[in-house]
Amino acid sequence: MIAAAEPIEPAPSAGAPIDEAEALRRLRQNEDQSAQYYAAWWLGRMRSRNPEAITLLCQALGQRQPRQAEAGVEHNAVARNAARALGKLGQAEAIPHLLQALDDPDDGLREAAARSLGELRAMEAVPVLCTRLASGPDVAGAPQTASSRLQEPCEAMLEALGEIGLAEPRLLAVIESFVAHERPLIRSAACRALLQLTDDSHWGQQLLALLEHPQLQVRRAALMDLGAAGWRPALEPIRRTLAENSLKLMALRGLVENPAGPHATRLDEETTALLAVMDELL
Amino acid sequence: MLSPNPMAAEPTELIRALRQADSPMGLLLATRQLAEACHPGAAPSLVEVLGFNNPGAAVAAVDGLIALGEQAVEPLLANLDDHNYGARAWAVRALAGIGDVRGLELLESALACDIGPSVRRAAARGLGQLRLDALPRSEQTRLRQRCLDALLAGGGDGEWVVRYAVAVGLEQLLLGMDRAEPGHRSGLKALQELAGEPGDDTPVVRLRAGLALSRLAGGAGG
Repeated sequence: MIAAAEPIEPAPSAGAPIDEAEALRRLRQNEDQSAQYYAAWWLGRMRSRNPEAITLLCQALGQRQPRQAEAGVEHNAVARNAARALGKLGQAEAIPHLLQALDDPDDGLREAAARSLGELRAMEAVPVLCTRLASGPDVAGAPQTASSRLQEPCEAMLEALGEIGLAEPRLLAVIESFVAHERPLIRSAACRALLQLTDDSHWGQQLLALLEHPQLQVRRAALMDLGAAGWRPALEPIRRTLAENSLKLMALRGLVENPAGPHATRLDEETTALLAVMDELL
Repeated sequence: MLSPNPMAAEPTELIRALRQADSPMGLLLATRQLAEACHPGAAPSLVEVLGFNNPGAAVAAVDGLIALGEQAVEPLLANLDDHNYGARAWAVRALAGIGDVRGLELLESALACDIGPSVRRAAARGLGQLRLDALPRSEQTRLRQRCLDALLAGGGDGEWVVRYAVAVGLEQLLLGMDRAEPGHRSGLKALQELAGEPGDDTPVVRLRAGLALSRLAGGAGG
């Protein structure tokens, strides 16, 4: 998982405090796209419960605009932000719309849609994700010409499959093919998904090896992936690895909250030991 | 454990080695050696390392600064980097570890208004562990109340990790407080709000606040 050193709130230029009515108004209009972009982010961040929010965000998935590199505006910025917000709102009505976005020619939009379908635990997304990845690291995982991006947003798609949680043999075989991808971040995402889906510590061990990688960016990714899988044997290696405490704390939160297997999180001895390590990192 | 060694010669060589380090690992090793010299003259260079975006070296520098104790407080306060929240987080962490009361004002303002969650969380932890033993009782009570007020306000922070640190800070502060002291009850109430039903949105924050309450009740929570 791409991990920033620290989650500082994005502060788009239109970033003055607004309320829900204002966010909906900004998303409804379509003259000012930067206002729509901010409104889409805001509705997701605030976990809006307003039914109109879902409707407007689903509509916004269809919006298209070119990239404006000089203004820092990404390609199809409103649609991508709408896809991200729909993952946070937790409403199943968004799923068919996100599935459609998964077939969009814009790989950035497919990436955002895949992540959100993962957050929504959308079983319906598994066949499409599996088909998109089936050609393996050499095709789906090959770089695009003149870009560092891959043909498919493999990392997001692999992570989504792990979140959704369907452990079907054919699917596992597709994910396993990415364990040999040349990029360590993709390997990390594949191991994370396999650890989540199979609970086999072999994949946890692979993530521990990535936690020792010479590049900080890879260690950060392995931290986030171990946290997402909630794999508790990683406690000590996480404590020791050279990375920012912010990321270690996020990973350890994952170990507390998402333990693999049937351990509901209670204040038992093991959890107390985890919290003691977190205290030391503050 | 390192202990300050003001009698030793100035660590000029070690500082030079630090300046000449040309790889992340080299910087880490040079920082460790300078920290281990435990010389007050090392403090400004150790503070500098906090801004180098090398987490391993920063950890070693923070350990070295904490070992220097009160001799590191002035260099830390005088060189706070307004433009680099990563560096500020490490500096606040060092001040929190030293627990010198001269850092109180900075800890208060860091928790209340720094933009970096890592700075706010380090400040919250520090507000629970100021060393006040040497001060007159009435002064101790007054300063603890200031720490408590800052932590109570921090309980409403938007970032889970800051609220987590507030729970840790409140636990430590209340453990050092007489139950009859005016703030004790409001501190407990804040922890109960984080721990209870429905409690904080983030499960790990609820768990940590629950652990604090069980320790404050004299429970065996760890």
